[in-house]
Amino acid sequence: MNALQKSLKTAAIAIAIASVSGFAAAAERGITDTSIKIGNIGPFSGKAAMFNPLNYGSVAYMRYVNDMGGVFGRKFDVVLGDTACAQAKGIAAAKKMIYDEKVFMITVNPCSGVAMAIKPTLVKEGMPWSGVSANPKITGSVGSGGTSAPPKYMFHVTPNGYFSGMTMGKFIMTKPNTKKIAIVAHTNDWARGYCDPAIDYIESQGAEVVLDTAMERGSTDATAQVLQIKTKGVDGVLGCLYQPELVVLLKAAHKYKLNTPIIGALGADFGQVVQQVGNAKAVNGVFFQGHLYKDKIGSPALEWGKQILLKYLTKDELPKTGDPTHFYYFGLFNGIGVVEGFRRAGRDLTRDTYIKAIETLSDYDNNISAGRVTITPQQHVGVSDMYFNGLDKDGNEVIFSSWGKALH
Amino acid sequence: MIEQIQSVLTNWDAMLPVLPQLVVSGIAIGMLYALIALSMTILYRATTVVNFGHGDLVMLGAYALFILMPMVTFNIAVESSALGLLASFVPPFLVALILSLFVLFAMGYIIHRVFIWPILKGPHLSLALMAIAIGYAVRGVIRKEYGKEVLQMPRPFPEQEFEVFNWGGIGTYMTLDEMIFCGVVIVMLLVSYIVFSKTRFGQIVQAMFQTQRGSSLVGINVMHYNNLIWGVGCSLGALGGVMLGLALALDPDVGVWTLLRGFAAMTLGGFGSLYGAVIGGLIIGILEKVLGVFISTAFIEITCYLVIILVLLIRPKGLFGQHATLRI
Amino acid sequence: MKLNRSIFWIFPLLVLALPLVLNQYLQYVVNLILVYILVGVGFNIVVGNLGQLAFSNVAFFGIGAYASGILTTQLGMPWWLTVIPAGLCGALAGCAASIPALRGVRLFYLAIMTLAFGELMRWLYIRTPGLTGGSMGLTVPEPAVFGWMLTTEYHKFYVFLFIVVVVVIATSRLLESRIGRAFLAIKNDENAAAAMGIPTGQYFLLAFALSGFVVGIGGSMYAALVGHLSPEDFDLIQVILHFAIIMVGGLGSLIGSILGSILITATPEVIRHFEWLVGSEEWIFGVSIIVVILFLPRGLSSLLAKVNSIFKDRYYRN
Repeated sequence: MNALQKSLKTAAIAIAIASVSGFAAAAERGITDTSIKIGNIGPFSGKAAMFNPLNYGSVAYMRYVNDMGGVFGRKFDVVLGDTACAQAKGIAAAKKMIYDEKVFMITVNPCSGVAMAIKPTLVKEGMPWSGVSANPKITGSVGSGGTSAPPKYMFHVTPNGYFSGMTMGKFIMTKPNTKKIAIVAHTNDWARGYCDPAIDYIESQGAEVVLDTAMERGSTDATAQVLQIKTKGVDGVLGCLYQPELVVLLKAAHKYKLNTPIIGALGADFGQVVQQVGNAKAVNGVFFQGHLYKDKIGSPALEWGKQILLKYLTKDELPKTGDPTHFYYFGLFNGIGVVEGFRRAGRDLTRDTYIKAIETLSDYDNNISAGRVTITPQQHVGVSDMYFNGLDKDGNEVIFSSWGKALH
Repeated sequence: MIEQIQSVLTNWDAMLPVLPQLVVSGIAIGMLYALIALSMTILYRATTVVNFGHGDLVMLGAYALFILMPMVTFNIAVESSALGLLASFVPPFLVALILSLFVLFAMGYIIHRVFIWPILKGPHLSLALMAIAIGYAVRGVIRKEYGKEVLQMPRPFPEQEFEVFNWGGIGTYMTLDEMIFCGVVIVMLLVSYIVFSKTRFGQIVQAMFQTQRGSSLVGINVMHYNNLIWGVGCSLGALGGVMLGLALALDPDVGVWTLLRGFAAMTLGGFGSLYGAVIGGLIIGILEKVLGVFISTAFIEITCYLVIILVLLIRPKGLFGQHATLRI
Repeated sequence: MKLNRSIFWIFPLLVLALPLVLNQYLQYVVNLILVYILVGVGFNIVVGNLGQLAFSNVAFFGIGAYASGILTTQLGMPWWLTVIPAGLCGALAGCAASIPALRGVRLFYLAIMTLAFGELMRWLYIRTPGLTGGSMGLTVPEPAVFGWMLTTEYHKFYVFLFIVVVVVIATSRLLESRIGRAFLAIKNDENAAAAMGIPTGQYFLLAFALSGFVVGIGGSMYAALVGHLSPEDFDLIQVILHFAIIMVGGLGSLIGSILGSILITATPEVIRHFEWLVGSEEWIFGVSIIVVILFLPRGLSSLLAKVNSIFKDRYYRN
């Protein structure tokens, strides 16, 4: 009798707790006791589909965390959404995530135009957003490319275009006697998101940007750009270009004996560019590229990342040939930061506690990136630093922290 | 813009020595436009249809070679007897290239037979949208399969450049690729000229261009010849796609870019004229380079649009074409 | 079955209740459909009614959108005051685009030329950063109507619906009048029309301007709906979209434009509904258009016209 009463009492308490916790979970959209719904949006189709691996990098990390038991017993339920990198479709993707799928947060979103277009909705709905898009206006505040306080719920774990561009500028400016710089850029928001901050930095250091040339997507030839640069006699070239055009520029620079360092933005995979140029003389000591990670891709220090990518992505989601490119690691980088926020937010997860938890990231070592992640209420861009890849005279890949200064 | 032009005018002497280089690279890239325009002209000459989806078929040509290449290499390695002997003479790239041209020929043939022929009697608009939709679907399939990364075109030989000549210490360079491109396009122009003007096939095509109904009355199997011409046009376009892939990389989006430049070359040369298409392509190639260096690189993109608009406004029949306007 | 044409009034009345049943995502899709209805109706005037292969529509669309965006950001005008100026800018662009047609450029030549015109406009948006924000894009503030902010998709819906109904009815009246019949005469036989004393040149200009006006208003609505304009929005993909709308709907048919814009705008969202199809949108879209052209060459409106003759377009009064 007594035992029955006791067990009844336990059951009642259990039901009460369950219902209360169930109620608490229902109060915040996208979370149950066992799951967190995440909207992962990006260019699954359209012109910028080559940035799609960013989405899969984040997916891979969340699948890995799920396999490890999730965060406080909650597993990630990732919903993919195609923005096609076009505003109208991107807004539809984001609104579907918010109002239809009722996700907890939206992540990845590599396209700046889409991010700018959905920003008002996200701000209004208090929807956390962790993206990788370049435009500094998205999450930038004073000191990270913006003019005011950062949007409360939106943040970058990775560097935004402001810091990436500035680091490109810093790198070339550490080369002795650099006075004149030329820019070769696509005419889109991605390229301007990188190159404009770089120009600002270079000019603030007393050097001059003597030439700002355009190179359209799909250009098969960079003769005009390189000859213009050559007549100006510059000390360095910044190429805010996607991979195919960057390869074209490097080939043309070699063909016309330009002999100036060319710094690439994050729109290409270093290893693939070197391979596709296919000429050691055209890249050794000439081509450098921003490198977000603490060591070479494929090095033992990042082997764990490669294992996660290979294990948790299907054959369709991985590249057709070769190892995962830098974009997959870029996605991992974002995924790690997003998941760390959930770890820090604890069991009582709401959007506010999540953002508060993200803002406690301070000098956080995510075991992947070059810089450490620090997000404060005043600063919603996690990392402000990156290294540079380059090849030495013998063609060995070297990571530089500044001009001529190898990391190892 | 005005400052730029002023600076160009003052630096004229310094810029002049690069002019030969611009002409040479302009011709090299112009050859590519010329080949695309040539393939579209051949299509137009026989069927009087302008294929608005041609750019995507050009792109498909490059991908076809990329997909066939590993298969060819693999087969040649495995087959020890006859094919192995053949392989020692014929590089696998050439085999894959010829195969991909055949694949695109079949694609063109099938596209015309299945999708274009049934609506040929309908309005021109349906034809235009059909071609666009086919191109869009092709692009979608390629993107779904290969769009996530930038793939490299297999190369038959390493890239190397030669100094063609030297003027005042400033050399003019040309790569081996560019030389071969020029050779291929000139050969293709000659072959198509001979085929279209000297053979019976060419006469039939000319008859079909004049009147399809009339030619079917005199016993020409119009559908069959149209199919063939679509196949030829597509495989010529695929050759252009392979060149484009070698110069850039494999990119599902090159179609639109290619199409507009092909149109510009055709418009400038005159619709329906074979050598007009080639000369138009060359002029646009050179113009792009010269405007790009002497005024601003921003003009490279719009050179072909400006050419289209100005030519159609001022001299609608182009350099060598027949009448293009409707007289009211 | 005999039906009265006044049943057409039922549709706008029925959709008035849509916000009650739709969430903001679906409401956004409906708003996008409303934008594309105007795009389709405007495009159809030149392509369907006048019978000219002119692709300058995307230029009108972009000019309307940028006109609205620039007026709100640079001059601080409320959005509702910019709708008519955006339409007028579109009409002006239409006049410019009619020049080649007036000079006798027809068929493919006109198509290629107007494509080039659209691309040239896109280049212009990139190259005038002081006005348009250049390649970084232009962020348009939240639209306002009489000082009332359109904060949600529901608010935008009612305003858009009002504009669309007014414009569509006005266009319909115009096409049923002498002007519409002149367009049809030109479409059927330009020389015969000229011989009958129809001043074809004037009607060309009028059709292009009218098309530009309607599409420009659509562009203005697009600016209000999307809130961030970037030059890449107005590229050749957009041309394909517009072209597909009128072809799938039915050439020269108002109902067709409406049906086409519903179908073309909704298809990607239907594909989005099936998550495993992610990334397949492009080829499915292409294949569906191929199927429609092969099996329904006159578009969806021909299907409706078979159901009941009331859905046929009427260019004369009986």
